[in-house]
Amino acid sequence: MHESRTLRLQRAMGALVLDGDEAAIEADPGRVARRHDLPGADQRAFRDQVLGMLTYRELARASLIEPLETMFPVLKALLEGTESWEPCVQAFLDARMVRSSQYRDIAAAFLGWLATSRWGLERWPFLLELAHAEILETLVARFPDSDPIEGLHPDPGPADFVVLDPATQVVTYTHAVHRACVEAPSPEPRPTHLLAFRDEAGLARLMELTAATAALLVRAQSQPLAEAAAALDIPDPAELTRLFQDLRREGAIAGFQATPPFTS
Amino acid sequence: MGQGRFTGVGVGLRRPHLEQVAGREDHGVPFWETCPENVIGEGGRFHRMTRAILEREPILTHGLAMSVGGFDPWDEAYLQDLGEFILHSGTPWHSEHLCFTSVDGSCLHELLPIPFTREALRHTITRVRGLQSRLPVPLLLENITYYAELGNAEMDEADFVSAVLEGADVGWLLDVNNVYVNALNFGFDPKEWLSRMPLERVAQLHIAGHRKFGDLTIDTHGADVIDPVIDLMQWTLARLGRPVPVLLERDNHIPALDALLAERARLQRAYDAALALCEVRHA
Repeated sequence: MHESRTLRLQRAMGALVLDGDEAAIEADPGRVARRHDLPGADQRAFRDQVLGMLTYRELARASLIEPLETMFPVLKALLEGTESWEPCVQAFLDARMVRSSQYRDIAAAFLGWLATSRWGLERWPFLLELAHAEILETLVARFPDSDPIEGLHPDPGPADFVVLDPATQVVTYTHAVHRACVEAPSPEPRPTHLLAFRDEAGLARLMELTAATAALLVRAQSQPLAEAAAALDIPDPAELTRLFQDLRREGAIAGFQATPPFTS
Repeated sequence: MGQGRFTGVGVGLRRPHLEQVAGREDHGVPFWETCPENVIGEGGRFHRMTRAILEREPILTHGLAMSVGGFDPWDEAYLQDLGEFILHSGTPWHSEHLCFTSVDGSCLHELLPIPFTREALRHTITRVRGLQSRLPVPLLLENITYYAELGNAEMDEADFVSAVLEGADVGWLLDVNNVYVNALNFGFDPKEWLSRMPLERVAQLHIAGHRKFGDLTIDTHGADVIDPVIDLMQWTLARLGRPVPVLLERDNHIPALDALLAERARLQRAYDAALALCEVRHA
């Protein structure tokens, strides 16, 4: 099928902006046009406007990379320690994974690419967890608002199921990634359970959970509370019940109901 | 294209000011402009503030990332959400940039220039008509700044923009700062350029600051508006002879709200002066 010249020009611009090997544009400014089989006059236009083309490369890359630098400062610090940040970002750009026109989705696209490509995981087994932890609060803070769930009651009974607020996430990491910082970006290898939720004011909050609490919070969404506690060998769930009441008041739990949340 | 309550100089609603704007009604801003991409599908505290402002204030909507001149299929689900957002906002029109922003599904998050060629012109007109057919209000296209022509141009920017506006029969969001920046970078007279354009299609103006980097001037939206750009706004208003709304954009080095409001008031005085002169001439 005939491929239009306009599309080839746009593809050339996309490659000029994203491709790592176009960094040397000044040495051969017509290269990207040749690569896209553009006619001589178009190749000349690329050659004659090096400054403008360089500007586009800088501006577009800044738009794509700045949200990564803002959202993943600890990961950046970790990788910069071995001069691996720029190769990581370039590998991400090469994968063409930014598919959403919404700027806020760039960081999530990067996280998705880390998960699917498994980039760097052999060397840094905690890398994906670290990246996830860095944007966890933002994902929760900006989770789309929805209407309140109806038919829930505020106090849990033994036969009740837990209904989390839609923005709430219970996550388990193999490393204490939430403790990593720019100054010390390598996390301690320690199983870590976190509850990320949005409070009444709409702000994200992070809470460290015990393994038992995290497991119960997950299990009690699909199994009555007393059964879930028994299955997890939690001898006295009364204390956890009080915690769950607190979590409902703080916004992490939407409420409790007698039927499983996803079948009601 | 009815503009009703939209006259004077409005301000682009930005995140650092949300809390203050939500908490006060004495800001003197006649209308605000919001980017739907930053509101649709959001939640949480800042989103709630934005929603509260949108419910209270006159709002225009301005898209950031639509690939108007591109080849990727429209995101129909987003356009559905956008349509609902537009209707709820009460905006009399919705604007997008005359550019492409994605290729082969990969979003570049930059306003990239469409080739000034006959083939690209035909393609863009078809795309714009398709986009307009999916929106519940009239579409305006904004002229962008560009730093290089993409490929061998067969016409100049003025002819290209005019032909798209006429061919697709849509309104024009005229960014006077973009005209000024392009005039600096490509060495033309901005007033002469504007004189060639279909000014009857202008429904709104944008105005902003820019910055020179070496041999190139960049549309940064990160500085106060300079006097020659204000002069170009006044000249344009005088040519138009009608009070089209002007929107002040500030996206970088965003100042405190009071400083931005002072900048708006300065532009409003220039706006009022230009229109007063029009009335004297027509009296």
